[in-house]
Amino acid sequence: MSLVLKNVSKKFGTKLAVDNISLTLDKPGVYGLLGPNGAGKTTTIRMLLGIIKKDKGNITWNGKEVTRKSVNFGYLPEERGVYPKTIIRSQLMYFAELKGMKKIDAEKAIEHWAKILKVDEYLDMVAEKLSKGNQQKIQLMCAIIHNPELIVLDEPFSGLDPVNTEIIKNVIIDLVKKGKYIIMSAHQMTTIEEFCSDILILNKGKTVLQGNLKEIKNTYKANRVEIDVNKDISKIIKTLKLEVEIEKNNQYKIKIDKEEQAYKLLNKVVEANIAVTKFEIEKPTLNDIFIEKVGE
Amino acid sequence: MRDIVTVSKFTLKEMIKRKVFIITTIIIMALIVLGFNLPNIINIFSKGSISEGSKILIADNENIFEGKLKEIDGKEMGYSLKIKTSSLDEIKKDIESHKVNAGIIVERENNEITFRYIVNDTMAMMPEDLGEQLEKLYTNIQIEKLGLSETEIKQITPTFDVQVEQTETIKGNTLVITLLSILLFYAIYFCAYQVSSSITTEKTSKIMETLVTSTSPRTIVIGKTIGIGLGGLIQILILILTAVVSAKLFLSKAMLDLVLTSTQVSPLNLTLMIIFFILGYYLFAFIYALSGSTVSKPEDIQAAATPVTLLTIAGFYLSEMVINKPVGSLTNFATICPISSPFAMPARVMMGLSSPSEIILSLAVLIVSIIVVAHVAIKIYSNAILNYGTKMTIKDLVKMYKAK
Repeated sequence: MSLVLKNVSKKFGTKLAVDNISLTLDKPGVYGLLGPNGAGKTTTIRMLLGIIKKDKGNITWNGKEVTRKSVNFGYLPEERGVYPKTIIRSQLMYFAELKGMKKIDAEKAIEHWAKILKVDEYLDMVAEKLSKGNQQKIQLMCAIIHNPELIVLDEPFSGLDPVNTEIIKNVIIDLVKKGKYIIMSAHQMTTIEEFCSDILILNKGKTVLQGNLKEIKNTYKANRVEIDVNKDISKIIKTLKLEVEIEKNNQYKIKIDKEEQAYKLLNKVVEANIAVTKFEIEKPTLNDIFIEKVGE
Repeated sequence: MRDIVTVSKFTLKEMIKRKVFIITTIIIMALIVLGFNLPNIINIFSKGSISEGSKILIADNENIFEGKLKEIDGKEMGYSLKIKTSSLDEIKKDIESHKVNAGIIVERENNEITFRYIVNDTMAMMPEDLGEQLEKLYTNIQIEKLGLSETEIKQITPTFDVQVEQTETIKGNTLVITLLSILLFYAIYFCAYQVSSSITTEKTSKIMETLVTSTSPRTIVIGKTIGIGLGGLIQILILILTAVVSAKLFLSKAMLDLVLTSTQVSPLNLTLMIIFFILGYYLFAFIYALSGSTVSKPEDIQAAATPVTLLTIAGFYLSEMVINKPVGSLTNFATICPISSPFAMPARVMMGLSSPSEIILSLAVLIVSIIVVAHVAIKIYSNAILNYGTKMTIKDLVKMYKAK
């Protein structure tokens, strides 16, 4: 199975919202779609699902044009929404039936996912009485209840507290284990680093970086060293003409241009008989790469 | 098709579970029961006052009517008259002991004749018809004294009989037909308006994206209008059933016959009324669906729906012209024009003025209009539902219709 987007473009009036983007997801896993606000992520997702029509290019799933009928997909939109005055169970059942599920299977799936997402106690309440986080989990249930092959999650973690973020992370990990193909857009770079094997960074509708996350990171040199010591080493750092990024209780994060600078620092610290409890040379994080690519 | 049924079922369930639906239905049911009990209620409150079947005592103690009071036919006016010499106190006693409901003492004072009307209801007036009869009898007695023949008397006291002849024979009571037409208008208007409000609710709750990736916009619009239409139909059938049961339980047979004759209710008329309700509802529901899909905030529904509401009201007023002037070119137009025919044609049918070919033509035009409006509404709805921005202009709508 594979999802392929080839040279896809979309214009709104004179504004080019998405410009000639391509991506391939050919094995189960999470493909990360990144970009600042207004970069074209949601437009790409909407084109991918056929909600809006593309102006150019091809979008296929197993070689077939992606439509509601041709692909069993699940979608968590960026615009969160539930029927505020409707009982949760009724609306989940409604969407499950629209996705072609039988009533009995839908009932089982509702109970199953409600337990996993810890919303089983709210199933017989009207949606407006639930917190935003719980409403978001209900929407995620709408997206995955029918066991879709392809799942598109637009900002699944936005507005969630750490507990709910962890619950949803576990669900995504579980879905990947079950062999699902997931496209996910997010702003939380640490989350993307946790899940995504491949990423595409969009800026102003254009692809600014794309590929396997590990390979991308390997192309970058180390840019930071983290060192924890038992004494103040600011003088040593100064003599080596290094720039401290963060310093707290003798724990330092120092910017470097090449790895040699980090080893020099370590030697000087050891020579000064200062105990080192942590020494780590770091490559740029996805956050660093993202800011480098889209930050102006 | 399966999805249309799912959307309709969900919409119907949502509609009939809503408090506003339940409360409105109960209030209208209560009003219907109250309406059919009106004659009984009036009877309860008018006990002691003068109504049909009351006994009235007339005391001509000074013999002003020269013993001719018996010539007055009380039964014709619905009263039982008792002519007897009685004093004021005796009459009061008779009223208190319910022997009579009211009493009249005829007196002469300074050549003026006075009727003293005695009754225990402070708000009561002397029955007008009885007063007229007494005056007429007195005039006749005086004229007779002049020695005029019966023909001469008739010549100087003529009664003019006005007879209205209409170019077409109209069945049914126009007031009752107007009321039914108003009922039809409100049923169609309120049900169709709910389509607009339902669509905007979905847009404002931002559930639209989940919905359009679950089924097609066409299915949503059709399913929604069917669901709300069924809700409206269920409400109307509940109200009709309440009216039928109330009529059977609370109306006397004579009154029931009168109601049936004046409404011209026959199974065929009722079926046609329901068909026109369904088709009229669909026409306006699709127009409201279009207006609902152009707004994204609940506070804008009213503004977007105003042109549609004006169109509906214009249709209704056109239909009122049919009732007031059932023959003419404007009437023919109103029964064929799709915005007025759902109200005008049932009225004309109840008046017994429509030929089968006119009914078929009216239905055909209405059905074609529904197909055209539904096509346009679905097209614009499909392109407008994800618009959460500013209000759309007519130009935007035309663009959306033309968009692929």
